[in-house]
Amino acid sequence: MTQSSRTELTKKGTGLKVAISAVLCLIILVLAIRVGSVHISLKDLFGIIGGHITGDGIPEGIEPRMDSIFWTIRMPRAIMAFLVGGALSISGACMQALLQNPLASSYTLGVSSGASLGAAFVLVLEISIPVLAGFMLPFAGFIFGLAAVTAALLLASAIDRSISNTTVVLIGMVLSLFVNGILNLLSSLYSDHSKQLYLWMMGSFSARGWKHCAILFPVLVICFVLLMTMARKMDIMSFGDLQAQAMGVDAKKTKIIAILICSLLTGVSVAFTGVIGFVDLAAPHIVRKIFGPAHKIVIPMSFIYGGAFMALCDLISRTLLSPREIPVGAVTALLGAPFFAYVFFASRRKHA
Amino acid sequence: MKIVVKDMSAGYGSSEVLKDINLEINSGEKVFIGGSNGSGKTTLLKVLAGLISHKGLVTVDGKEVSKMKRKDAARLISLMPQTSEVYFPYTVYETVMLGTYASSGSAFGGVPASAVEYALKCMEDCGVSDLRDRHLDELSGGQLQRVLLARTFAQKSPFLFLDEPGNNLDIKYRAELCDKLNVWAAGQTSEIPNTLVAIFHDLEQARRCCTRAVMLKEGKVVFDGDISEAMKPDMLMKVYDFDVTSYIGE
Repeated sequence: MTQSSRTELTKKGTGLKVAISAVLCLIILVLAIRVGSVHISLKDLFGIIGGHITGDGIPEGIEPRMDSIFWTIRMPRAIMAFLVGGALSISGACMQALLQNPLASSYTLGVSSGASLGAAFVLVLEISIPVLAGFMLPFAGFIFGLAAVTAALLLASAIDRSISNTTVVLIGMVLSLFVNGILNLLSSLYSDHSKQLYLWMMGSFSARGWKHCAILFPVLVICFVLLMTMARKMDIMSFGDLQAQAMGVDAKKTKIIAILICSLLTGVSVAFTGVIGFVDLAAPHIVRKIFGPAHKIVIPMSFIYGGAFMALCDLISRTLLSPREIPVGAVTALLGAPFFAYVFFASRRKHA
Repeated sequence: MKIVVKDMSAGYGSSEVLKDINLEINSGEKVFIGGSNGSGKTTLLKVLAGLISHKGLVTVDGKEVSKMKRKDAARLISLMPQTSEVYFPYTVYETVMLGTYASSGSAFGGVPASAVEYALKCMEDCGVSDLRDRHLDELSGGQLQRVLLARTFAQKSPFLFLDEPGNNLDIKYRAELCDKLNVWAAGQTSEIPNTLVAIFHDLEQARRCCTRAVMLKEGKVVFDGDISEAMKPDMLMKVYDFDVTSYIGE
């Protein structure tokens, strides 16, 4: 076979895999919207969606109750879950490459513990700023999350001018543990707020509406485009800082900018939904197994896979023990960990 | 165009590895850097490529290398490190294409046809065209070394710095590598004549590939001149503290 026809074949293979993934992800999204105590036919569902998009209003024969259940409650919730899952996975994919660490994520650098501390302050001190109204908790979470990562990066570069990966990861871990200490102290001192705080930290998509999607979506689009422009740099960075420098990438600058973008993505997500672990870790690894490690494909596919996975987990979290809800963070871990282990080790055995 | 090193010292933390180095390398030269383990060879290559901080001056074409934008520096100088970290199993083709980043890198990963063609030629030259769609984690040490060499060539810079390029190569590929380096050094990939600066542990390879030798001992230049002079037994004895001829013969 000639080289060019082989490349064509690889391209076709990738195209097919992308198409299958996109269809699967649409199916999951539709399931996430349809399944629940109230059922709806596909025709009515698309009628409602079409009505809202075209502005013609919902078609006749559909109860207004259905409109509010599906358009106001389930759809934004499912889409929010998808966006958050996608955002966390993109962030995880990039952080793993930048820090050459399969367990790296914005969480390891302190985004989650920082955000939790921010939320704790708001809950415990009962702070409220009128302008922010219902957004006080996410706002504080976001600011504290980003502050924690910035602190970790500043500290890392003060100790080690070339900010090596080990330094960044270690400082992030140390900082996270320290912040968690303050968090535990706060929740034991103000134990009447600890249930509220606990629930926030477990993560949930309950009652997330279009207004939350409207904030997350533009941030996601901007961060996605920025990270895609850095895709090739990240490919090169995965060969180590020295090699990257020699090949023309300013490793330190790239690392700092990309980590901040990833933290922004994680920060906005965590702020609205609380800390949901695992998806940022698992989705990128699975995507690399299927599509290879090149970031121009890993970044968009991590969004698709992470999003679909999160939408599925949220569906399970609200239906499994209905009408009770299980924290979605528990579902991502319970479902994801064994699956991830299977995928990871099954392919390893094949290679061995 | 030339590289000028003036009163340069460098090291890691408080330990000084290189002391007061003065050196000039003109484009078109083929320079061997020799010395025993820990004499500062690798550090010297990294300083020349502007990758670690140093005292004194290191300039290419009058410009301080460590202050140049990384992309501009990489267009002039390519460096293949002694050890390579391979974290993700890219395909051979993808890996070599990454070498074109500095000369032709567009943000979204598009590579112009001319750069692709050149990279394919580098793959051919290094004998890795057949491995094109293989993943890096499926290669032997020698195959990986040749892929990384192809990637370094694909960078298309006139100054080529190689740290132990013969690592993991069997004797046939070592001989071929010498021929390739000689062909490359005699040619011109840009408007500046190609310049080779290489560290070898295999002195036969050094003798075949280079015409000038810079010998280091404990961070200082103890010899700088024609390679045939450097290969004389008493010089080797001085540099390596070891009777090399008793090991490899005259």
